[in-house]
Amino acid sequence: MNAKSIFVIVACAGLLASCATTAPIELVNAREAYRQASTGPAVQVAPAQLHEAQQALALAEQSFQKNPKSYQTQDLAYVAHRKAQLAQASASIAQKQASQAQARRDYQDAQSKIIAETKTDLDQTRTALAASERSGEVSAERLSSAQDARIAADRQTAQAQEALAASAAQQLASEQEARKAAEKRAADAQAALAKLATVREEPRGMVITLSGSVLFATNQSTLLPDAQLRLNKVADALLINDQQNLIIEGHADSSGDAGYNLDLSLRRANTVRNYLVGRGYQASRIRAYGFGERNPIADNASAEGRANNRRVEIVVEHETLATNK
Amino acid sequence: MKHRSKVGITIFIMAIVVAAIAAGCASTPLRTEASTSGIRAAEELGAADVPQASLHLNLARESLEKARVLAAQDKKEQAASMLLRAEADAELAIALSHEDSERSEALAAVARVRKLQQDSR
Repeated sequence: MNAKSIFVIVACAGLLASCATTAPIELVNAREAYRQASTGPAVQVAPAQLHEAQQALALAEQSFQKNPKSYQTQDLAYVAHRKAQLAQASASIAQKQASQAQARRDYQDAQSKIIAETKTDLDQTRTALAASERSGEVSAERLSSAQDARIAADRQTAQAQEALAASAAQQLASEQEARKAAEKRAADAQAALAKLATVREEPRGMVITLSGSVLFATNQSTLLPDAQLRLNKVADALLINDQQNLIIEGHADSSGDAGYNLDLSLRRANTVRNYLVGRGYQASRIRAYGFGERNPIADNASAEGRANNRRVEIVVEHETLATNK
Repeated sequence: MKHRSKVGITIFIMAIVVAAIAAGCASTPLRTEASTSGIRAAEELGAADVPQASLHLNLARESLEKARVLAAQDKKEQAASMLLRAEADAELAIALSHEDSERSEALAAVARVRKLQQDSR
């Protein structure tokens, strides 16, 4: 036999030997499963299960050594495979349980943190509330003071109002009294004027008619001495209320020239006006007009009628009319 | 002669014992308690609803059935060996079911933590 033949024989023998010792698929899977389990977390977290897998794999290997193709070898290898998988599953369970435990711890930590933060917030809120209450007390004191001051001010205001009301009432009473007195004076003046001259009420005011023959001489505009006395009394009566406007109107009869009569009536009106001003009546409140013979009040045909037409009328304007003017 | 009779008696007794043992072995019922209880436990844990666990639950059932068939064929040893497969698959189905529920609970616990942390922000 040459060397080549020897090599072929040895190779064939080796091939046969290898065929004879080929492990069943169950054992191959078991070995791989155990390898994975023994290099994974099962070493740390499932050592008991991994040990069982190792023992099961050892039994399978022993059986394989004794009888590689027997059903015992296959079944033992199958069981070893499952034991290795069981070790891995146990490791996974342990990991999941650890994860759950960690999650529970995290949950508790988070809860503790939240509680601590809530407590801190609560403390801060209480502190702020206490400060606010203190501030509120101060504010309440200030408010009380302010209220007291306001009450005092209100009281003063009320007193002032009462005083003002009393003053107003007093003033009103005084004014009423003054008005009554003025009215009484006016009534007295009117009564006095009624004794001195003809007095009548017209829409434009109270008209006091003074006879021209009593005041002036014929064709004269100078007051007669007796007329001055009469005008003094008229002036005194008018000065009782010197805030009224007066209109002095001169009138003449139809005798003679109308222009002359107009001029004469104006001069006579001015004479009376000047006399009243001289007696103290305000000049700005007295106006004088001459009407001549235009406004007769009686028949110029008779002597008596002409005497009545020669006259001076003092119109005391109503207060409302005076104001409007 | 007396010595031969003693040897004969001894052989006879041994033959009876062996026959009795053999008869006992032949009549020993298949012990499927471990397999069936494991399968039942896996079923109660919901292995049928977990894909990987369901696979091994079915394998366990098949192995148990094969063992019974082998036992019926009077292949006691093979049947007993097949029961080992059934027991191993049932045990693994239980573990995988357990793992699945642990996984769900772990995920839920982590979700609770995240929600709490988000709510507290």
